Amino acid sequence: MASHTYGATQAIVLDTFREAFARKIFWGLFGLSTAMVLFFLFIMKIDIVEGAAATISMFGMQSGREIDAGRLVKQVQAGIATFLYTWGMFLAVFASAGLIPSILEPGRIELLLSKPVGRTHLLLGRFLGNLLVVGFNIIYLVVCVWFILAFKTNIWTPDFLISIVSTIFLFAVLLSVVVLIGVTLESTALAVMIPAGLMVISPILAQHKIMMRLLGSEWSRRLWRGLYELLPKVYDLGKMTLDFVTDRRVESFAPVYSSAAFGAAVLALAVYIFQRRNF
Amino acid sequence: MSELAIETNSLKKVYRSFWSGREVLAVDGVTLRVERGTTYGLLGPNGAGKTTCVKMLLSAVHPSAGTARLFGRDAAEPEARRSIGYLPENHRFPTYLTGNSMLEFYGSLSGMEAPVRKRRIPELLELVGLDRWGDVRLGKYSKGMLQRVGLAQALIHEPQLLILDEPSDGVDPVGRKQIRDILHSLEERGVTIFVNSHLLAEVEAFCRDVAILHKGRVVLEGKVKELTAGKGYRLTVPAALPENLRAEITSRASSTAARDGVLDLQFSGRDEANRAIDLLRAGQLEIEALTPTTSTLEEVFIRSING
Repeated sequence: MASHTYGATQAIVLDTFREAFARKIFWGLFGLSTAMVLFFLFIMKIDIVEGAAATISMFGMQSGREIDAGRLVKQVQAGIATFLYTWGMFLAVFASAGLIPSILEPGRIELLLSKPVGRTHLLLGRFLGNLLVVGFNIIYLVVCVWFILAFKTNIWTPDFLISIVSTIFLFAVLLSVVVLIGVTLESTALAVMIPAGLMVISPILAQHKIMMRLLGSEWSRRLWRGLYELLPKVYDLGKMTLDFVTDRRVESFAPVYSSAAFGAAVLALAVYIFQRRNF
Repeated sequence: MSELAIETNSLKKVYRSFWSGREVLAVDGVTLRVERGTTYGLLGPNGAGKTTCVKMLLSAVHPSAGTARLFGRDAAEPEARRSIGYLPENHRFPTYLTGNSMLEFYGSLSGMEAPVRKRRIPELLELVGLDRWGDVRLGKYSKGMLQRVGLAQALIHEPQLLILDEPSDGVDPVGRKQIRDILHSLEERGVTIFVNSHLLAEVEAFCRDVAILHKGRVVLEGKVKELTAGKGYRLTVPAALPENLRAEITSRASSTAARDGVLDLQFSGRDEANRAIDLLRAGQLEIEALTPTTSTLEEVFIRSING
């Protein structure tokens, strides 16, 4: 029984990878990650002077002044983490959005459901496969960049690696939204638009302290505050990652807990709806 | 374990529109008993509820009322589906898979261990005549080839119950014969085969039992032989009969037809046929042929649908 559960999970994950390969999703993400790795490997040159100060040169052009090597590495790592958080996340959601509705196509879903695999197992297996497709690329990019920077500067700061965990965590939260849209509406377009909307609205909602002063009515302040508390805190999580990477103190872990609760609730709702649906 | 492969009790499905609340009764109290080892055909016109019935057996559709059991287990339990092989109608196999990887995938989901899969896949591809196509993507397969690889998929884990939705749809006559031969060999090994098809001649030739569904209800169920067996007889005699004898015999027949110098007389019962034979022999006239008449499954089907 346990071996069947493991075997079936492995098969569903492998099938997700195969589909990601066939749709060029995996190679697209891998290609972008590789381009970035090659940029750091060959184009961006960092010269360390007496082990502390550094200059950067790209395409033969050199930065004018020497800066602290440790600070430089942190800034580059912060830049990568920000890129991953914004464009990388959007690309990952865009690439993954079709992978859930595709298994719900008539003629495909009936056959999957006819196998001795529970619906929850099927959906969570697909979720895991999707997470691993993106997670593999995030790990590949962050570890390679970290290694290249460390090798070039001889500064081995592991803090940057925390962005692997935080980026995959945020992707998992947004992927739960993709899954919910997939099982309810079977729309790839909406499965991109809604998580992207959550990413866009998050920095606005995060200004709740300012907005509490600006909003005139009590109900509008409550609504703002409620939305901020309810929805995933993409902005706060990103800020937290940057704080980690740049050695700043993290003020609160509350955004992690509330975003995790949001993701778990949305995924549970998706599983519940998937269980109840007729195909 | 239960002696019944499939058992449904008053199975009912009502589809409700989420927005308008409108209800459509797709299946209305279907009770079926499919014995182990039999070949069973589920027939019905379009929209009769056949596919919904099959989907309820597979738990792809949740019944509104009633129960469905497979080998004595509740069909909703994933374990109940372990001994089922299924070939859907209008299947959409992922085109990025090859024949080998498709069988590998569905074999894994069916709980097969890797060494068993490795042994079974080439055997099955050979069985369905696709042994040289294992490494080719399904996107390159013709419709008939997809149907055959779909059958291989349904057989990968050596199921005890095979549920086939239009199994020979899109397959050429040679492929159909091949599928029929495979199904016959499975039948000989005691596999229960449940076919949902609109090809009545095929169902008549292959299935031992049938149920006819109309407007969500079972309108007729039984052994194919019994349903198609007729009580009438056809008597063929020379057309050149004396006028008075001809008049007497034809008055007893339910229908007559003259062709190629002979007269076909249809009698609804044995007594009428015997009386006609007595009259003919008394007049020392020849009898060309006497054959019991049967109905085709198509005739039975049309009669039952038309009430």
